[in-house]
Amino acid sequence: MADLEVTGLGRRFGGLVALQNVSFSLSRGEILGIIGPNGAGKTTFINLVTGVYAPTSGCIRFKDRDITRMPAHQRARAGISRTFQIIHPLESLNVLENVMLGFLFCRRMRQAEARRAAEVLCRSLGLEGLGRDVAQITMLELKKMEIAHALATHPSILFLDEVMAGLNVDETRDLVALVRGIARERGIGVGVVEHVMSVIRDLTHRVIVLEAGEIIASGPYESVARDPRVIAAYLGKETAGGGA
Amino acid sequence: MSRAVRWIVPVVALAVAALFPLAAGPYPLAVARSVLTYMALAMSWDLLLRSGQISFGIAGFFGIGAYTAALSALHLGLPPVLSIVAAGVVAAALAAVLGLVILRLRTVYFAITTLALAEIFRVIMQNGGDASGGPEGLVMPSLIFNGEAKALYWTSLAAVLLSGTVSALFQRSRARLALTAIRNNELSARSSGIHIFTWLMIAFVSSSFLQGIVGGIQLQEYGFASPDSVFDSYYTLLPLAMALLGGTYSTPGPVVGALLLGVAAEYLKLKIPYGHLVVYGIIIVLVILLMPRGLYGVYRGQVKAWAGRPGVDRG
Repeated sequence: MADLEVTGLGRRFGGLVALQNVSFSLSRGEILGIIGPNGAGKTTFINLVTGVYAPTSGCIRFKDRDITRMPAHQRARAGISRTFQIIHPLESLNVLENVMLGFLFCRRMRQAEARRAAEVLCRSLGLEGLGRDVAQITMLELKKMEIAHALATHPSILFLDEVMAGLNVDETRDLVALVRGIARERGIGVGVVEHVMSVIRDLTHRVIVLEAGEIIASGPYESVARDPRVIAAYLGKETAGGGA
Repeated sequence: MSRAVRWIVPVVALAVAALFPLAAGPYPLAVARSVLTYMALAMSWDLLLRSGQISFGIAGFFGIGAYTAALSALHLGLPPVLSIVAAGVVAAALAAVLGLVILRLRTVYFAITTLALAEIFRVIMQNGGDASGGPEGLVMPSLIFNGEAKALYWTSLAAVLLSGTVSALFQRSRARLALTAIRNNELSARSSGIHIFTWLMIAFVSSSFLQGIVGGIQLQEYGFASPDSVFDSYYTLLPLAMALLGGTYSTPGPVVGALLLGVAAEYLKLKIPYGHLVVYGIIIVLVILLMPRGLYGVYRGQVKAWAGRPGVDRG
């Protein structure tokens, strides 16, 4: 039994169908790739699962509980966490305080305890200089802080919305290793939205492909990447011949 | 060193403030008491501002406090101290009920609604007939400590102490992180497990409670509450300007701002009886343009820059 079970999920915005009939499951320790062209509904999908908006159809079950109508802050406490495609660091808080939030408000720790826990977590991700303002840190540090911010909520399921975007090759490699470690060592089910195909190939156990709000293919990366529909819809003409 | 400063400065300031009536004449004492009133209001306003919600309804809850104190003393026979407590409780309860609706609003919509609420309160009291005393308002038969100026000053100082304590508790507890996270980004705050509505409610109710208390004390100064006196927009604008000048999102900021602007306000009132409001306006505009973090914010920035210099021991 998977930890997260989504069936027939759909969302309309007025006349626009952003997502329809999306079903998938995600278990602890598993890394799922979520790919698709821009506007395919990947971020909408994360927003629905994490409770930013309510779905207009379908059902979300988490650890055998129906959470379709559960508000976002409760889902965070229950163990579904995320990062944001457009990173929202809390600019009036320093790095450590950004990371402390999950410990304080999901795990209900006291401040001193949360401070220590956040320090340990940051150090385990290779994040130092925790007293700095978020305006002073590098892009890689910002991404790590964003991941630490999510991990602090003690998730069993974590969605990473394009965390590799804006990083160079070395930094990407660093972060791929980090995400793999998070899934394996912490036993977290990770959903990765990513445009960099090499990241999806190296990182994921399984991939679902969204196009125009629907799943058009799913399975291991190798088989999905060969699927003619996927090539037509997603990889496009330039990459169809040479592989991504 | 910084830890010592954090304790010594407020303790010394409080001691000086507490001893002030023993040395001061009636006029300086009256000015100081009004500064304390605005100071408590400025701190209460900053409390909610930390969540990003800008209230223009200070005068509304202040006025409700004054009316509650008057009505509870006249009809229930509450002694003055209890009527002041009742003022805070009623203002807080009203904020809790109204908050259910208006805390769903944000930014300028929230600001405008709070401004309208204060006006609605005023109109209700004006047209309340015998129950509210109508446009003439309510007159108190007797006052706290028989209206003795020193005792009244200390009562107002107690309100400042209460506001400062609540403000400092918010700054030292998880409330600071929750409210700051909400102010910076609600989506991110929710994803950290912060229940935004609960925290906004806590801040709004606490802030209104303090405003009600201060209103209840103000009644004791003048001995009457009328719609035009206690709901005067002056009670909204001056505390707001003080907090901005002194520095928002902090406890010392509104205190500093209230001292400077409160004394300046009194001086300006004497010099330019009809034009002094224009001068506040100019001060507010200049502060926002030149010093958006206020005086205390600038000071904090300097301390931080100094502590960040290489070779400085941060112990």
